[in-house]
Amino acid sequence: MGREVSESCIDNLLMEMVSTYCNRFYANKPELAARRIEAIGYQVGHQLSERYTMERPRFTDHLEAIKFICKDFWSELFKKQIDNLKTNHRGTFVLQDNHFRWLTRMSIDQSPENGASGEPSIIADDKAVESMHLYFPCGIIRGALSNLGIPCAVSADISNLPACSFVVRIKA
Amino acid sequence: MQFFGGSEISPSPPVPTATGNNAHMMYIFNRNGVCLLYREWNRPLHTLNSQQDHKLMFGLLFSLKSLTAKMDPTNAEKGNLGIPQLPGQGCSFHSFRTNTYKLSFMETPSGIKFILITNPRTGDLRETLKYIYNLYVEYVAKNALYTPGTLIRCELFNTALDQYVRSIA
Repeated sequence: MGREVSESCIDNLLMEMVSTYCNRFYANKPELAARRIEAIGYQVGHQLSERYTMERPRFTDHLEAIKFICKDFWSELFKKQIDNLKTNHRGTFVLQDNHFRWLTRMSIDQSPENGASGEPSIIADDKAVESMHLYFPCGIIRGALSNLGIPCAVSADISNLPACSFVVRIKA
Repeated sequence: MQFFGGSEISPSPPVPTATGNNAHMMYIFNRNGVCLLYREWNRPLHTLNSQQDHKLMFGLLFSLKSLTAKMDPTNAEKGNLGIPQLPGQGCSFHSFRTNTYKLSFMETPSGIKFILITNPRTGDLRETLKYIYNLYVEYVAKNALYTPGTLIRCELFNTALDQYVRSIA
């Protein structure tokens, strides 16, 4: 039995975290900011996977561990499972979530009628901010898997909001 | 959430009673008078340019709120005028009606003012405005890409708003 936190608090905390790291701590170094955010996610994922695998036996192979991430772990975090799992059977997995909870409220600024319309730089900035928000869940997945004994690299792909895919590449 | 009387995430939208475009316009202002949103669905007559229009609307509502609070015969202490209160507390006006339109108004404790102008036969829109405030919280306030105090340009909010407004009487 754990204590509960309001979801709005978590949403706002994550938004603030990303914006602080990007705009204040590492203002002109987006790669460093991304790495810090991902490192925070790594710690969180590490500890969460410890908590959620308490009563389970060890996983027999990589696929079982990934399936655990897709089903139980994701349901604990986001109240739903991963919608689509693809693999090339050579260590790469694509986890697709069609309605990723932390991205549902983000929408790109639409170009208004008066001036400043859809300049490519503004749209690119928005995309950059959105991808910053994905470093944290990537870190969570990486932390969880590495705690289960599977070192890997995780990246995210948001070609179509609000669906997003996480690509997990297991290090041989 | 005290504001909505402890219901779950959002109040369910009031039952739609008619279809078609019944609303004319909508304004959203923030505490400082900045017009965050102006949506127009059905406005045949434009009298002023948009800057003057927004200023006039904000000034009008500010004065109306002060007037109604000062003229309240039931409340002994006048308190601090100009401070936003919970809707329903203190004395707050919520709509006026002419023979051609009805203007409904709601101010939130954070100072965000919602103004909806509809045809004169519309009933009480307080629940409607509360639902629109909820849409605002979900899609604008919680949008990482939105800076508070600037023009609202969030597609999700606009789409949800259009869809919802189309369903009110």
